Amino acid sequence: MSELKNLKSEWKAVMSCMGCGDCGYAIRPAVDRYLTCPVKEAKGDEGFEIYFSRGRMNVLKSLLLGQIPLSRELADFVYQCSECGNCTEVCHMSQSEHIVLNTSKWIDHVKVWDAVRKDLVEAGFAPLDKHGKLINYMNNDTMRNPYGEEEAKKFEWVSEFPEIKDKGDLVFFGGCTMPLRQADTLKSMMKILKAAGKDIAMSKDEWCCGSVAIRIGDQSSLTKIIKHNIEVLKNMGAKTMFTACAGCYRTWKKDYPELLGEDLPFEVKHITEILVEMLINNEIPFKPVEGSETVTWHDPCHLGRHMNLYDIPREALLEIPGVELKEMKRNRNNAWCCGAGGGVKSEFPDLALDISKERINEAIDTGAQILTTSCPFCIGNLRDAYNEMESNIQDKIQVIDIIDLIANKI
Amino acid sequence: MSEIYQKLENIVKEKYISNSLYIRHAYSRNVDLVLQGVPDIVIRPKDAQEISEILRIANEENIAVIPRGGGDCEFGGSKPIGDGGIVLETKRMNRILNLDQDNLIVTVEAGISWGKLNEYLCHFGLYTGCMGPGSGMTAAVGGGISHHSVGGGGCAKYGACTNQLVSLEVVLPTGEIINTGSQANKYSKYSFNRFGNGPDLAGLFCGDNGIFGVKTKVSLQVFPKPPFAAYKTFQLPRKERVVSANIMNEIRQKGIDVYDLMYLMDLVVRVGCEQEMFPFWKALKKKRGVMFYTIEANSEGELYEKVKQLDEIMLNNKTEELGPEISDGNMAKWHYTEQGHWQFYHNLWGMYPSMQPLTAECFSPISLYPTVLNDIDQWDMEHNEDMQKIFNITQIRPIAGSGPVVLVDGNNVEITCGFTSFWNYHDGESYDIIEETNFKLWKSLLERVTKHGVQWYMMGDYMSRLMVDMGAYPEQFYNFMKSIKQKLDPKMILSRGKFNFWGK
Repeated sequence: MSELKNLKSEWKAVMSCMGCGDCGYAIRPAVDRYLTCPVKEAKGDEGFEIYFSRGRMNVLKSLLLGQIPLSRELADFVYQCSECGNCTEVCHMSQSEHIVLNTSKWIDHVKVWDAVRKDLVEAGFAPLDKHGKLINYMNNDTMRNPYGEEEAKKFEWVSEFPEIKDKGDLVFFGGCTMPLRQADTLKSMMKILKAAGKDIAMSKDEWCCGSVAIRIGDQSSLTKIIKHNIEVLKNMGAKTMFTACAGCYRTWKKDYPELLGEDLPFEVKHITEILVEMLINNEIPFKPVEGSETVTWHDPCHLGRHMNLYDIPREALLEIPGVELKEMKRNRNNAWCCGAGGGVKSEFPDLALDISKERINEAIDTGAQILTTSCPFCIGNLRDAYNEMESNIQDKIQVIDIIDLIANKI
Repeated sequence: MSEIYQKLENIVKEKYISNSLYIRHAYSRNVDLVLQGVPDIVIRPKDAQEISEILRIANEENIAVIPRGGGDCEFGGSKPIGDGGIVLETKRMNRILNLDQDNLIVTVEAGISWGKLNEYLCHFGLYTGCMGPGSGMTAAVGGGISHHSVGGGGCAKYGACTNQLVSLEVVLPTGEIINTGSQANKYSKYSFNRFGNGPDLAGLFCGDNGIFGVKTKVSLQVFPKPPFAAYKTFQLPRKERVVSANIMNEIRQKGIDVYDLMYLMDLVVRVGCEQEMFPFWKALKKKRGVMFYTIEANSEGELYEKVKQLDEIMLNNKTEELGPEISDGNMAKWHYTEQGHWQFYHNLWGMYPSMQPLTAECFSPISLYPTVLNDIDQWDMEHNEDMQKIFNITQIRPIAGSGPVVLVDGNNVEITCGFTSFWNYHDGESYDIIEETNFKLWKSLLERVTKHGVQWYMMGDYMSRLMVDMGAYPEQFYNFMKSIKQKLDPKMILSRGKFNFWGK
C-alpha cells in the first residue's frame, strides 16, 4: 500500500466532505448556478458518481482508511477531471460576506485532486500513456515543450520581430502552446504592442513553465525548471513578466511561489492586465469603428476560478471600440469549463470536445457573434469542437482570442 | 457473481452497470461518514421496466437491492447495511414528464432533484410549495417521498414532501409495477387525486424508507408562487425555548399561513459566532437564540396585514427584530431570496475539519420540543466523560443539541437532534476509540430522545434498526409492518436490514 503522503496532507478537505452532492447536481438560479461538473454532464447517462467530486471524495476516504489501493484503474478515473475547480465554488456556495462556510478554509478540491495525482505518480500508476509522453518531451533537452517539437521551433515567430529585446523591465514569457500552435496570435500581440509603442524583452532560453507536470502530478523535474526559468528572467532584468497563456500565468503566479516557498523577484501579469492598461490609457490606435459587434467572454478556469481574474478581461473588452459584451448564462465563478484542462485534452480528447461543445452552444444562446477568451488551451479546444459542429452552428459564432480581436481593429 | 452480473448487464447495457472496486466505494456512503456499506454492483436503470427486471433477478438470486436517489440520507439509508448487494441508482430517471397547468400537477421521474424540478417550474410562476429536503439541490423527489422529508423551505405552509403527493408509480420488490390514487383507475388519463379507488396505497410508500417499493414516477400538486413575501429575523429573549414554542403555537392558533418559521437555538448562534461563521450576528450583544419567519401573499395589502399580525406576536413575546437586510442579520432574507433553504445546513456541517454531526431527524409536537431540547442538554452533561475521549484527540469537545427547529404543517416541528462529533480519521491517523464512542453516544442519545415519544422520519440504516432494537415499536404495529413486508417482499431483498427485515 502506498504511503499516500500527498493525499494525507489534504485529509481535512477529504474528511470534511459531507457528501451532499451539490458538486454534481446544484441548480440555484438565484445565484446563477446551473449545474457544476463538466465531466459529469459530458458523461451524461453514463456518469457514475466517481466522475464528480462527491464520488471521488468517497473513494479518497476509502483510500485514506486503507480499504482500497491505488491502481492504474483508479488513475483512469482520477485523470478524467479538468480540474476546473467548479466543485469548490459550489461547495462554498452558501458562503457570502455575511455567512461564512468554515470548510471554505480547508476544502480546495483542485489541491485534493493534485495530491492524489502525485500519489499515483509516486506509486507508479501514472502518468497515463499520453501524459507520460508530454512530460518526457517537456524534460527533453532538445525540446523543452510538451508537444514534442524541436526547441527552436518555439521561437520561429520571434524572427519576424527584431524589435524584441534581450533584456528589459517588461519580459514576455511565450510558453509552449501559443508559439507552437497559435503563433499568429502572438504576431497579433506584437502588432498591438508595436502600435502602442510598448517595448518588450524575451528570451529564447525559456523552458516550458512546467504546468503540464504540475497538473499531472509528476513534479520530479519541476524544481530545476522553475529555478531555470526564474534565473533566465532575473538575468534579463525583469521587473514585470507577462504571459498570454492562462496556464503559464497560474503556474508562475501561484504554483512557483508555493513550490519554492518564496515570492518571485518580479511581478507576474497576464496579457489581459497589460492590454487593459493600454486600452484605458488610449495607447492603442484603433481604426474608426464601423458598426458594433457582440462578444461573449469565456472565463478560463486558470484565470477565473484559479486566480480570481474576472473583471480585468471584461474591463478590457468594454474598452474596445464597437464591442458590446453579453454574458453567458454561466459566467465568472459559475462559468462552464472548456474541458481542456487537467490533462483531459491530451488523454481523453473526446471528453474534452463534448464539454467544449456545450460551452459553444451556451455562447450561441447569448446571440453574440464572437466567443472570445484568453487561454490557448481554451481557444484550441473550443476551436476543435467548433470545427466538429454543424455548419449552421458555425455560422452563428466565431471563436477568437481577445488578442486577435483587438489586433483586427488596429 | 459474474453470471448474475451478466444477466443484469443484459437489462441495462454495459454503460450503466459496474462492479469496479472504485465505483462501488464511490457509492458506499451517504451524507455521513460513520456508516459505510460497499455494494457488489452499482446499476443505473432508465425506467420502471428495467427496475422490474432487475428486481426479478434479485429475487431469483436472493440479492439485496438498495434504491438510491440523491444519496443524501444522513443515516445511511441509500447504501447497503453491511457490505454486498446491488445499489440501484435512479438518477438517470430525471425527466419532467408532464406539467398539467390547468390542474397544477407535475409528473416527474422519481430520480429528478427538487432543485431541477423547481428551476423548471419557476419559468411558469410555479413551485412545489414544500421545496423538499434541505439537500434539495441533489436530493431526489423519490427520496423525499420515501422519507416524508422537510427542511428545504416552505414546510410550515405546505407540510412535508408527501403532503403534495398526488400519485405514484412504484415497482414492487417482486417486480410488479403499480400506480396509485387516480391512476388506479385504468381509464384515468392523468393524475389528479391521491385518495379514492380504495385505500390510500400511495401512503404505504410514503415514508417507507424504501422498503416497500422503488418509486419511479411521481405526480405532485404544484402551486403558484405568490408575488409578495416578507421575511424577518428576531432575537429571542431569555427562556428562548419556551418563548419560541409559544410563538409557534400562537401563530398556529391564529391561523396565519406562515411559509417558514425557524428557531435556531442559542448554542448554534453562540458557537457559530465564536467560529466566525455568522459575521452578520457579530454585533449581537447577547448570543441568544434567533427565530425567523417568511410569509407570502398575493397582494401588498394581504402581506401588510399578515406581517402586522406576525410582528404583534413576535413583539408581545419580547423578541427584538434585527434589521431588514442580510447584512443586518436577517437570515430569513438569505434563506428565501437566495435559495439559502437548500444550503442552510451546510454551514453547520462544516464547522471544524472532519466534523461529523451524528444526528437524526424527527417530528415533535410544538409543545414537546422545549422539553426534548432541555433533556438533550442534560444528556450532554451526563456524558461528559465520553465526550472528553473525543476531545483528547481532536481538541474540540463534541456538543449535543439541535440544528434549526422548523415549523411543519399542523402543530409539529422538525428537530434535528444529535451531537457534533468527528470521524475516526483525524490528522492522518485512524482512532478506534472515536468510532466506538461515536456509536455508543449516538445510540444513547437517540434512545433518550425516542423515549420522549417523538416520530422519526428519515430513518435510514441506523434509526430504523434502533427503533426495533430498543423495543420502541408496539409489538402489534411491528408485526403488522413485517407482515406487509413479507407479503410484498418475501425474500426481503429491498433495502435489506432496515427495520431489521433481514430475510434469509
